[in-house]
Amino acid sequence: MNNEYVSLSHKKKRIFKKKTLLISWLLLMVFTLISVVLGKIALDKQLMIATVLFTVFLKGHQIIDIFMELKYAPHKWRILLLGYVVILPAIIATIYMF
Amino acid sequence: MVEAATNSLNKNTQQQLNNIKLPGDLAMWFFILAELTVFAIFFIGFAVAEQLNSAMFILGKAKLHPIAGLINTAALITSSLFVALALRAFHLQKQRHVMWLLITAELIAVIYLVVKIWEYQFLITQGINIETNTFFTLYFLITGFHFMHVLLGLVILMFMTIKAYRNQYSNKDPSGFESGACYWHMVDMLWIILFPLIYVI
Repeated sequence: MNNEYVSLSHKKKRIFKKKTLLISWLLLMVFTLISVVLGKIALDKQLMIATVLFTVFLKGHQIIDIFMELKYAPHKWRILLLGYVVILPAIIATIYMF
Repeated sequence: MVEAATNSLNKNTQQQLNNIKLPGDLAMWFFILAELTVFAIFFIGFAVAEQLNSAMFILGKAKLHPIAGLINTAALITSSLFVALALRAFHLQKQRHVMWLLITAELIAVIYLVVKIWEYQFLITQGINIETNTFFTLYFLITGFHFMHVLLGLVILMFMTIKAYRNQYSNKDPSGFESGACYWHMVDMLWIILFPLIYVI
């Protein structure tokens, strides 16, 4: 279980545990370092771009689901925001491929 | 009998949990969507311009300071963590914790502002400005626009801190606090796309 509950006036609300927030922060830092290292090492440029943009999605996912608390928000809003970090990096990757 | 009561209780809790709500005000989310769209146009424009002026962009990126970009990424991510921790403390009705966590988030955000100003100064002393070439026009425009969003986010966080200091928040209506927190996370998320695009790729 990565969440606990607090009672509001009329209903219960899920909140994330401190540990979940810290793990999310750690993942964001690790993905950032991975993308910087990938940019430095002599890797195939297109593969590097694809991998770095994939880390953008992974980081965006952490921010949207955990920090913004959209994991337990109405499904359509969560999909809309997650769609942003899928579609935008995909468009950017496509531009760089040509 | 007990089992039936437990089942009924579980069902009741489940129904309450199913009554899920978007964190923050709906208006703030539309504002966030508008901001994300504007930045998406900037990012796509930057990528297209890079494809059209590849040599110029390689030279331009070589003049940037990747460590400064990395420090700023770490600062914004960490600041976002403290805002998320503040929101958790808010839900748990720990007003003093909320205030101190927000102050920490703001101080870390100031690191971003200082590093960014240093970066601009570093470029300007080298004779580089917004009119140097397409790369630097886009660099100053996009990062400057983001910088203004960080400033606005910081003002919102300060307003939230003052409200927490005055004990004016009630966790019965968390939407104001959640809206401010989500705006700050959006600023962080935009930098997470901006940083690899301008500094790494």
